[in-house]
Amino acid sequence: MSTLVAQPDEAVDIAKRRASEGKRAEQRLGMLLCAPAVVVMLSVTAYPILYAIYLSFFKADLRTPGNNEFIWLSNYVTVLSSPIWWSAFGITMFITVISTAFELIFGMMLAVVMHRTIVGRGLVRTSALVPYAIVTVVAAFSWRFAWTQGIGWLAGDSAPLTEKWPSVWIIILAEVWKTVPFMALLLMAGLALVPEDLLKAASMDGATAWQRFWKITVPLIKPSILVALLFRTLDAFRVFDNIYILTSGANNTSSVSIVAYNNLIRGLNLGIGSTMAVLIFITIAIIAFLFIKLFGAAAPGQGTGR
Amino acid sequence: MSAQTETTSKKVGWGLVNVLVLLYAFVPVVWIISLSLKGGDTLNDGKFLPANPTSDAYSKIFSNDDFLRALANSIGICLISTFIALVLGTMAAYAIARLDFPGKTAIVAMSLLISMFPQIALVTPLFKIETAVGLFDTWPGLILPYITFALPLGIYTLSAFFREIPWELEKAAKMDGATPYQAFRKVIAPLAMPGVFTTAILVFIACWNDFLFAISLTSTNRARTVPAAMSYFTGATTFEKPTAAIAAAAVIITIPIVIFVLFFQRRIVAGLTSGAVKG
Amino acid sequence: MRERTSRRLVKRVASIGAGLLASALLAACGNSGGGVPTINLYGSASDAGFDQILGPCNAAAKGRYKIVGNLIPSDADSQREQFVRRLAARDSGMDVLGMDVTWTAEFAEAGWLRELTGEKKQQATAGVLQPPIDTATWKNKLYAIPRSTNVQLLWYRKSLVPQAPKTWDDVLAVSKKLKSEGKPYIIGITAAQYEGYVVGFNTILSSLGGTVVNKDSTKVTVDAKTVRALSILKNLATSGLASKSLSNSQEPEVFAQMQNGEAAITMNWPYVLSAMRAANKKVAADLGVTRIPEFAPGVPARATLGGLNYAISKYSKHPDLAFEAAMCLRNPANQLKGALSPAGNVPTLKSVYDQPEFVKAYPMKDDILAEMKTAVPRPVTPLYQNISTIVSTTLSPPSAINPDATAQELKDKIQQAIDGKGILP
Repeated sequence: MSTLVAQPDEAVDIAKRRASEGKRAEQRLGMLLCAPAVVVMLSVTAYPILYAIYLSFFKADLRTPGNNEFIWLSNYVTVLSSPIWWSAFGITMFITVISTAFELIFGMMLAVVMHRTIVGRGLVRTSALVPYAIVTVVAAFSWRFAWTQGIGWLAGDSAPLTEKWPSVWIIILAEVWKTVPFMALLLMAGLALVPEDLLKAASMDGATAWQRFWKITVPLIKPSILVALLFRTLDAFRVFDNIYILTSGANNTSSVSIVAYNNLIRGLNLGIGSTMAVLIFITIAIIAFLFIKLFGAAAPGQGTGR
Repeated sequence: MSAQTETTSKKVGWGLVNVLVLLYAFVPVVWIISLSLKGGDTLNDGKFLPANPTSDAYSKIFSNDDFLRALANSIGICLISTFIALVLGTMAAYAIARLDFPGKTAIVAMSLLISMFPQIALVTPLFKIETAVGLFDTWPGLILPYITFALPLGIYTLSAFFREIPWELEKAAKMDGATPYQAFRKVIAPLAMPGVFTTAILVFIACWNDFLFAISLTSTNRARTVPAAMSYFTGATTFEKPTAAIAAAAVIITIPIVIFVLFFQRRIVAGLTSGAVKG
Repeated sequence: MRERTSRRLVKRVASIGAGLLASALLAACGNSGGGVPTINLYGSASDAGFDQILGPCNAAAKGRYKIVGNLIPSDADSQREQFVRRLAARDSGMDVLGMDVTWTAEFAEAGWLRELTGEKKQQATAGVLQPPIDTATWKNKLYAIPRSTNVQLLWYRKSLVPQAPKTWDDVLAVSKKLKSEGKPYIIGITAAQYEGYVVGFNTILSSLGGTVVNKDSTKVTVDAKTVRALSILKNLATSGLASKSLSNSQEPEVFAQMQNGEAAITMNWPYVLSAMRAANKKVAADLGVTRIPEFAPGVPARATLGGLNYAISKYSKHPDLAFEAAMCLRNPANQLKGALSPAGNVPTLKSVYDQPEFVKAYPMKDDILAEMKTAVPRPVTPLYQNISTIVSTTLSPPSAINPDATAQELKDKIQQAIDGKGILP
């Protein structure tokens, strides 16, 4: 009884074992391939990040390293009950939402041009990336110069950088000008993966260019859009250089990063400064989470490829 | 006949669009170039173009040993960082896109979290570590953080990319008698290249423009890169800004990027031309 | 197959890592060697080139030490950032620190500076003007060697302002008259949200006899005088006599207003003369200069001191040699060199002011000396940086100042900073 039935069982066992061996080999390879990246990332950031989180529970000043005092969540209460923080938070949100939206629209347009243009493609592609290549502080400085009354070509007789909203819009302009190429490049790399045949077939079936774009291209480059949008939002929320140079936070144009800088680096208040860093981190994490939820399975690591 | 005029008018149309792109990219850049060519007498005149251009700023920065050294540091550090980040990023991204293994989600989440933490809060502890280990003011002292902060973007871009590649083609090629190496080189590599080169450009530029780490983790021209070196430029006096010199340096250091991009952008072409995919 | 590839990859990565480590070690070792102690100077780069200054001093050291000049970033905030980070880590690689005058109390209180006592104190202060010594002093102890000093002056166009204004009311009156005649009339001061605005505010407040904090920096001293100083700023901003860019003006912008012929009168540092000669000869020939006007009529103005001092790091391994080196770097010959260089470092040694070359290059030296007699440091407190941030943000933009309310706000915020509460804007 046993031998007869056992044989196929054994075969299944062997097949199973083989499969699980293959599975194990795949797992091992996966971990091995990721290991170097993980080791580098952790060795550089683990201590600094944990240390910053640790400091956020202390009253700590860089000048008096011996006098740290554990104060539970007091720093968080101080920051979250401060109008300075919330004003900066509002400005940062505004700049993030508006500039990322503009960047996505212009970035998509630029990507299509870079991808499709039939004359001077190399020239267009290379020059479109120049704004992204210019060192941020220099670009910001040149905008500041251009918008200063009397000495800049854009300002004429007005002084926009002395008022809140004109300043905010100039900051957004500087951000958008600089990072549209970043978006465009990522989106263009996605466009390169859209099969020509598919578009052609759709075109023959009578789909308009607009329909082809929305029905075929966009769904196919969704992962690229997610990556571009995600990383731009993370960066935009930490906007610092442009504001630092253009207004240094005057007229209530401080972003959360500017406020964190003033407390942490200028004021040397490690406790409050680290608390702000952690709060910025948490906010960004929430935004990223929402993005990934919104885009669903387009995030890498979900599902196993093919 | 009519087909020809159609392509001509198409070309003209694209030409106009291209002009718009060039205007967008270059008007502010021309302003920076113009600043670099203005002398003290015309710097504040509010005109878009310099009235009597002078190359003083350029001769000044090229006779500045610290700047030249910084340029060499920048090129070296960024090339090495880009290369290593790409190798590590490609390995990890391939695994994440194609393989099933425990801890995958954790790795993806971790890399994203790392790129979310405000970097100004990391500088001081990082400085402490580097001085303790002896990495402060060395090339590796900058290369390591650059790789670290390039990896998340790299892993995300590349794995998003690798997921879209039709890997069945590899199998198909093997069935047609190709060796695994041939299948990889002839079929997979061309499809993967646009993603890899896009990432290369982004990583290189991010590294090239970094100011925070460059200024905080160096103290001499042994490892100082250009953006940091520019903050050491001085005007004639404490109260004057070296506007022309800074603008000139910005122009100069944009040239290597343009070359880098020129070199790589050719390879970001439509990977899937008709014929590569059947069905 | 796959596994072998991956193993090879791992190996390769490991070898890259090892290479990195090795090069780091090499770099770390390259530092040592040579028996002559190295004195690392971290100084302001706007000086007349390190070689010119260091050369003679290294020659004079006769092989006992070698000064190596290290550049630091050109703006004061980044300089302080670097100093603080390295001093807090007890870095022994810095010996002589070129310090902005506003850092003395903070660095001394943190225990990063070596106090100068006895003979060293004697040497460091001999023949030095008193105000610069005050900038190097905290709680009656000397912490640095005064190297250069600075005071703002009142610059005006002689063709527009025939008689040098003596009081602030004169300044306003002459500008108003010029405006009604359709001539250039702008009054330029540095009022962007930054350190230079604090300098201007401190000058006005001190001239009225007021202060921001008490002597040992335990209590805020905002009072009626502060309110008056704030009204002066508010009036200027809303009088229509200031530039539209007032709230965005730093030194370069104020200078540009003069250069472009917009401004009739500006408050700015002595560099204006040499810089204007290079930028606009016509305006330079028309430049008049005088002391800062009286804000309280009959009482000479009290200008705010700038400048740079040399301090010796607590963690220096060669403090005595470092002191010697710093003294050489600021000896009369080198101070004169610094003053004549494009940097225009105003000397702290009285004797230099009588040198014929100096008199020739600084036709306004009597104004500088007169101003120096009544000049005051910025609020001397370990919390200076915080207080400065609070002052410049609370007072920005000048047109939005509401004297009584703003003074109260200033009082609350500064007291919070002293008590270590609240956050910086």
